[in-house]
Amino acid sequence: MKRRLVLIAATLAAAYVLPYRLSAYPMQVVDIALIFALLAIGLHLTLGIAGQINLAQVACFGVSAYTTALLTTHAGLGFWPAAVLGVLAALAAGLIAGIPALRVQSHYLGIVSLGLAIAFLGLVSNSTLTGGSDGVSGIPAPSAFGLDLSSNYLYYYLEALVLFAGICFAAFLTRTRLGRRMRAMRDDQLAAASIGAEVPYLRIIAFALGGLYGGLAGALYAGLIGFVAPASVSISVMFFVLAMVMIGGRHSLAGSVVGALVLTAARELLLNAAAYAQLGYGLLVVATVIAAPDGLAGLPGKAVPALRRRGGAAGGGVARYVPQPVPDQPDHRGTVTALQAEGITRRFRGVTALHDVSLTVRAGDIYGIVGPNGSGKTTLFNVISGLHPPERGRVTVFGRDVTGARPQKISRLGVARTFQNLRLFHRLDTRDNILAACDRTRTRWSWRYLLWPAGVVRGERELRAAAAGILGRYGLTGVSRLIPSSLPYGTQRRIEIARAMAAQPRLLLLDEPAAGLNPSEIGELAGIIRDIRRDGVTVVLIEHNMGLVMSLCDRVIVFDAGRVIAEGPPEAVANDAAVVSAYLGDSNLFDAPSEVGDNDARQ
Amino acid sequence: MQVFVQTLVGGLGFGAIYALVAMGFSIVYRTMGLVNFAHGDIVMIGAFIAATAFMSSRLPFALAVLIAIVLTAAIGLVIERVLRPLEHRDLDLMLIGTIGFGILLEAIATLIWGATGRAVRTPVGASPIKIAGIYVQPYDLLIIALAAAAAAGVWYLLTRTKTGAAMQAVAADYEAATAVGINAGRSNAMAFAIGAGLAALAGSLAGPVLYVNESLGATIGISGFAAAILGGFGNIPGAIVGGLAFGLLSGFSAGYFHGSSDLVTFVAFAIVVMIRPTGIFGESTVNRA
Repeated sequence: MKRRLVLIAATLAAAYVLPYRLSAYPMQVVDIALIFALLAIGLHLTLGIAGQINLAQVACFGVSAYTTALLTTHAGLGFWPAAVLGVLAALAAGLIAGIPALRVQSHYLGIVSLGLAIAFLGLVSNSTLTGGSDGVSGIPAPSAFGLDLSSNYLYYYLEALVLFAGICFAAFLTRTRLGRRMRAMRDDQLAAASIGAEVPYLRIIAFALGGLYGGLAGALYAGLIGFVAPASVSISVMFFVLAMVMIGGRHSLAGSVVGALVLTAARELLLNAAAYAQLGYGLLVVATVIAAPDGLAGLPGKAVPALRRRGGAAGGGVARYVPQPVPDQPDHRGTVTALQAEGITRRFRGVTALHDVSLTVRAGDIYGIVGPNGSGKTTLFNVISGLHPPERGRVTVFGRDVTGARPQKISRLGVARTFQNLRLFHRLDTRDNILAACDRTRTRWSWRYLLWPAGVVRGERELRAAAAGILGRYGLTGVSRLIPSSLPYGTQRRIEIARAMAAQPRLLLLDEPAAGLNPSEIGELAGIIRDIRRDGVTVVLIEHNMGLVMSLCDRVIVFDAGRVIAEGPPEAVANDAAVVSAYLGDSNLFDAPSEVGDNDARQ
Repeated sequence: MQVFVQTLVGGLGFGAIYALVAMGFSIVYRTMGLVNFAHGDIVMIGAFIAATAFMSSRLPFALAVLIAIVLTAAIGLVIERVLRPLEHRDLDLMLIGTIGFGILLEAIATLIWGATGRAVRTPVGASPIKIAGIYVQPYDLLIIALAAAAAAGVWYLLTRTKTGAAMQAVAADYEAATAVGINAGRSNAMAFAIGAGLAALAGSLAGPVLYVNESLGATIGISGFAAAILGGFGNIPGAIVGGLAFGLLSGFSAGYFHGSSDLVTFVAFAIVVMIRPTGIFGESTVNRA
């Protein structure tokens, strides 16, 4: 921390004295580099933090630059009001570019955004208002506090100020809840939706952020160069910015900024060999994705594996789970229905994964779902949690109809789940995984980022306290700053349960929680599930480990080929003839040792 | 009527080129789930090779096209080989890798052919011929015929040959296909080579109707991509229908909106994508939990 502060102070000091050391032309190059740095931060946020491929950012840059240019030259506005309107226009353009994100996924998004950028380019190249290919010239340089900023030296300080603010805001955003949710969405959008993240809105916000930074860069560009033409907003500019962010490291704020500065400088040095420069950065992009996907920022960690361990991570490891001291009381189940599914049918092309499935789970029960692989158990979870809407049938959770609702809405109604194949946010450390789920606010809470940052800071403190409680309870404090994939499989399973519980559910869906666990871990798991129920959470459990099912569950339902073949108390179901024959005459089914699901064998 | 039919045939001619580009996008996408952003630049390279062979080396048009197809197919193989470590692992990264290759190919084109473009003359004569009282450009008909032949060839390969069956299997289930002994890498390479070949065909055919320069890839590539989405990405018949539809859309909007036709076309496209993201023939993609 102290070293980081020293580094920041040294960078600021160097940035302050830099103009005293430069002659006029290098100063201009630096001014341009800072503008690219702003663009790179915007792309870092959309691509690196939120995982959205946004190739329309150059259009936002252009919208702002052209708006500033036209308002100052045609409408007689001063630079500052024009620039503010330019940034707002770019923000609006970002929002518009993000609208397709409500419906379509990454690949489509990439191309739709590129299509919009090309359409914008076509517009400004052909419209007489924007001066066609000649562009708009004669944009007045701004002045502030009596200083004439037409000097590139003074303009540098204006840019440096904006860039500094931009860096601080980006860092603040990334480290707090909005950014954390975006990172969660980037890593696994299904899991993010299942803990309540409103993925479509987050995507739109990601595009808007790209628009905001693009807008700032555009207005500054208009003020610096005094001239805007289609060539400055072309697709190759977009790809240039993409190269900066990829080579610098898309997940790293510092990497993106450094990438922008270095590539701008390199392009300037190679101005007489532009095609070779392009060849070079094309090669670098290809080399980056193959050999160093985290770019320059990822290299130190790669070279020295020890650096990847963050401070405080060394201690502890996972603690044994300590069950709650209060003995389990068998009589906390009420008469309330926690979950009801009626006549659920779901097909995948020709295969009917679920055929007219109905079940009722009383609040306070631990309810087991068993059946051979491919019998529709996970599909039922996907239907309940909103990942696959059913073709027919109705799902109610605590009396509320949730049929066909989005996962994030179902999460808000108090349903949490885990996944058969583990869906942790793999670039987030354990604590961030938990924090992302602790956050129960809607996306609209985020207005505070613009108007009341102190509220964000306070909210963050509360979140951290809640997360610390969850981490402590599940024995994960010792691994809180480690990346889940660096931990043993059993620990990852426990983190996933902790994450689901961090969302404060009333109904918890566990998909094969014992798969891949060793016997002592299974023992701990049984304690965890009992404690969860004691806290008043209804548990539905898909499991192949019959010992666990028999000892934990109040009722069991058996699936075969998408149909329910038995339901009732575990002992009754175990002796049901239909159940026995579904398991191909294996009469010892319920004595069989725990089986490892085929999906886990692949891990 | 005359204007309408001419716009129609011209639109179909462009549409056939877009359909070829869209088929190239789709064949790679359906096999490995990847959108090849370098595809447009492969179109451009193909156009340059054919233009050079036809205009500078004075080879017959058919031979020039063939050379372009073979050379660009080789480029497709190189791209696939370099990006293979990312296959079936990180598609977003791979996608950015193809953007990197696009940047690279554009630079190579500038280094070889310079910044000025090439005008290519029509191989079949520029005077319109009269069919049923309507004048049409013979070259438009040639484009449509060649594109139809290429589509038939792709259809035959995918549905009637063993290689095609292997490619379908990899597309349907990568792990299962690998498990039964299909060389998925070879299938992917094949898809890339065919995709690049189709791109080269599209580029060489576009030469005489457009001006060949280094931005050709961006314009045709984007339109072909839009066409592929319109038809349902990865769906070969969809790519053809989408390509023709896009050609007609931009043909008619150029007639009515002139300079802002790009904008009109892409706004129309964006609206279609928002209403029906999976395109006309696309199956909804299923998220597996």
